[in-house]
Amino acid sequence: MSFFGFEERTLERGKDRRSEQDEDLAVYTWGEENYDGLGDALQEDHDDLNDETFGAVGELGKDFDFSNQALPDRKNITRSANAIVEDRPPQSSTPLTLESIWDDKSPFSLRLNGSNRTQLPRGESPAISSQHRQQSGIRTLQEIEAEMRVSADQSRQEALLQQRQQQYYLEQQRLQQQQQKQREEEELLLRQEEEREFQRQRLLYQQEQAQQLHLQRFQQQQQLLQQREHQHRRTPPPRMLPVSQSPRFMEHQQRQILLLQHQQEQQQLLRLQQLQEQLRVEELERQLRSQHISSVTPDRQPSGPTLADMEALQHQQLRQQSQSPATRSGPHRPAPLEDSLPYLPQSIQLQQRLLSEMAQAEFLREMQGLSQADQEALRVEAMRKILEAEKMEEKRRRKAAKIAHMSRYNDLMTQSDKDFITRIQVSQLVSQDPYADDFYAQVYGAIVRSRMGLSADDERVLKFGASGGVALGAPTKGGNRRPNAMQRMQQQVERIVSNARKREEEKGLHSLHSLQGALGKTSGRSYKAAPRQLLQVDSSSAPSSSPTLSHAQPHAHISKADSISKSSSEAAADAARIGRETLDNGETLVRMEPLTQREILVTLENMYDLVLNVEQLRRDQPHPEDGEEVLEQWSQDFDKLVDQMWIQLKVMLPLATSTPHPFISLLSAAKGKKILPRVTRHFDQQRMNTLLTLLIACFSQLDIISHAALLDTLEDTPERADVERQTQAFLSSVLQSILPIIVKGNLRLVCGLVGLLMHGQDIVAIAKSRPGLALLTLFLTRVEVIKEGEVDENPTPEDFAQWQLMFDHLFQLLTPEFPLLFPSTRMAEHLPRDQPHINIPGIDSLDQPVWQFLAALALQASSMQHQILVSSLREKVLDNVLSAKKGWVVDEEERSTKLANVDLFLHALGLDSSQITM
Amino acid sequence: MDGSSSGIQEPFDLIRLSLSERVFVKLRGDREMTGILHAYDGHMNLILSDVEETIMIVNEGEQATVNVAKRKMDMLFVRGDGVILVSPPSRT
Repeated sequence: MSFFGFEERTLERGKDRRSEQDEDLAVYTWGEENYDGLGDALQEDHDDLNDETFGAVGELGKDFDFSNQALPDRKNITRSANAIVEDRPPQSSTPLTLESIWDDKSPFSLRLNGSNRTQLPRGESPAISSQHRQQSGIRTLQEIEAEMRVSADQSRQEALLQQRQQQYYLEQQRLQQQQQKQREEEELLLRQEEEREFQRQRLLYQQEQAQQLHLQRFQQQQQLLQQREHQHRRTPPPRMLPVSQSPRFMEHQQRQILLLQHQQEQQQLLRLQQLQEQLRVEELERQLRSQHISSVTPDRQPSGPTLADMEALQHQQLRQQSQSPATRSGPHRPAPLEDSLPYLPQSIQLQQRLLSEMAQAEFLREMQGLSQADQEALRVEAMRKILEAEKMEEKRRRKAAKIAHMSRYNDLMTQSDKDFITRIQVSQLVSQDPYADDFYAQVYGAIVRSRMGLSADDERVLKFGASGGVALGAPTKGGNRRPNAMQRMQQQVERIVSNARKREEEKGLHSLHSLQGALGKTSGRSYKAAPRQLLQVDSSSAPSSSPTLSHAQPHAHISKADSISKSSSEAAADAARIGRETLDNGETLVRMEPLTQREILVTLENMYDLVLNVEQLRRDQPHPEDGEEVLEQWSQDFDKLVDQMWIQLKVMLPLATSTPHPFISLLSAAKGKKILPRVTRHFDQQRMNTLLTLLIACFSQLDIISHAALLDTLEDTPERADVERQTQAFLSSVLQSILPIIVKGNLRLVCGLVGLLMHGQDIVAIAKSRPGLALLTLFLTRVEVIKEGEVDENPTPEDFAQWQLMFDHLFQLLTPEFPLLFPSTRMAEHLPRDQPHINIPGIDSLDQPVWQFLAALALQASSMQHQILVSSLREKVLDNVLSAKKGWVVDEEERSTKLANVDLFLHALGLDSSQITM
Repeated sequence: MDGSSSGIQEPFDLIRLSLSERVFVKLRGDREMTGILHAYDGHMNLILSDVEETIMIVNEGEQATVNVAKRKMDMLFVRGDGVILVSPPSRT
């Protein structure tokens, strides 16, 4: 700081001082009599309270008592302080030798040179005061040492006193114990009352503890409330704080703390309750045992002395043992139970509690004087209970830890946050037409609901209503939250739906006055997002909607097959029109090539669309109360759709339109077979009859009939698998849909159908196929039912005669082929020549429909026909019976199947397999 | 064709025609499979059932031969990016 010019001044000052004092340093006259320092100039006032302030403690010794535990008494301190204060005034006038040792002439020393000082600058006044302090400090050090010596003596005395007290206490305890024993011996009769008192005390203890816990909890709650209030006043807006500081987090933490406390308290309460229960149980056991003993003793009087001996032994043993538990439990019992509950880890608490309980139990048992064995048993039981309790503790702790771990992020979001997110999610799900958007989920939900018995009502407006229905219907294990979530979601959705509706209306209003009468779509959402045409005219829409545009359409990629058939649906429509027109005029035929695969598939896809629309329409069927007009409109729409379906099916095309008939071609695809039931569900009786007639008439054109021979081969080729699949589909779908018609058909219808089957078609081939056979069996059984007269209609004798003709014709046609009707026979022909008797698995179940058919045939057959039947089937029957009886079968099931099959047929003939003797 | 097939507007509609029908799928990695198509989507992910997959293993060497490994599965999901083509099965 030379440039500021300060240093020099200080240096100068220092120099001055030193120059002054150099002179003084040269003269050393300490301790002399004529030493005339500036002692008078010594400022020695205001020192009165120094000792009190700086704690001078009596005499100072150089040996410090490090071993003394206790601090010296305050009284001694104050006493010595007073002593020092008294001592001080005489000392201050004459410098002590001790003191003078400490004198130091150096200006920077903290000690005051009493004699040689003149008036010192102000800068050293603090030094002076500190020197004062040092002076008094030394004195006080001495005093402190003295004090400490005194206090050491005192503490030793006190320790002695304490020991004496403890001894006295122990002696008292022993006295007490002796007294107790005397009491025990005296008051055997009052043991039960004391027991109960003990328990009551324990209960009281526990209640007190519970109360304490409650108090603690209450206080904590209050504290928390206060804290929260403070926070509410002080916190910035919620999203401004970092997470740790946000009020929600604080709340979250507090809630966690509260939760933990709750859990702890609950656990403690639980344990208390358990202990209470244990006590009660033990009491009950004891009572029972005492009763048992008391009831037993009269019986066991000869062994009475032994019991008494045992009891005496026990007393001695107990006395020996009870000392240790008593000493253990004596000091233990009051302290841990009261004070250490909140502090000690809970397992130790529990153990202590159990130990104390054990001790009590032992006391009580001692009083009761149970047998040694029982004692042991009880002790063992108690140990077991301790172990169990420990295990339970462990489990509980683990569970609590898991729960705490899982829920450490609970309550981070407020309800409004959750609602916000739920609204966003739900808004994505809600749609106007749930069935169209999410068909499969809805249908699946409906199926599940119907299976569970209509648990939830039909929620259509909400897309996720299906899932909601399922959730409500299915058992919800942890689903206590779900009802609330569902309710909230429903509220959200209602809100969203109403908003959407309002928006729709608004859009409607908007569109009304701006785009009224325009043909085209307007975009749904905001127009601001991307600049687009306000009106979008769909140029690629179907020809029907824009007649002017359809001609303008380029005909892209006309395939060869298609070009021939022009546009086959139009052709079909034309043909249908022509067909209908010419029904009276005779047939004019438009001969076509069979439908190509492409056409078939296209038609079928269109059919699927139509079916879906029809089903949707069906679902939206308005209630009668909605008004006449709405119902009318709906019926019209519905009928239109059904007509379209009918046309698409191409049923009305003349029979000879193509081979196969277009309708049959449609049925060649598995898709077609599967859609038929869904389509025919909406057709009336007349259309169904027409359909059935067509089907029967062209039955042999079906792919399954023409490919049926493949099924008889034994190798598993993809084609065979395919035919199998198609056959299966036909049986399950198509036959199922025409079944109701046939079952209700009258004799004339059946006659006609059977005639159709035979006319111009290879009935044998049909009969060799599974569907054909099934159909024939169906017809025969229907006629049988009609014959038995269980039907409403009354067929005329002409009908019966007609039927008989048909039947005979059928029989005639089939007779030479009877054996070949069996798959087993047909397959056997495909077996390698050298192994004619390989057993084909499942062959008997394949044969069964044939036997059924033959039985049906036999039912209506005349005796002549019976004979023919028997003669042609003789071998087959014998074959089966032989193999069944001689045990050429794989298992019991096969044998029974064989016999059943044969019996089917034989019973129809009035015979039985048992009649056949080998 | 356009008249009757008002439903066909884009190539995917051709795949739509083959729903529930047996199709032949050619995949990357010298694989082919035939199966009944149940579902498809814009990525050409396919769900097939009753599937038979054929893997061609080409042995490079002097005489390049092709080994064929086949396997069958009941139900299969095919990721779209491996699909090269989907066609009706070859008709004899």
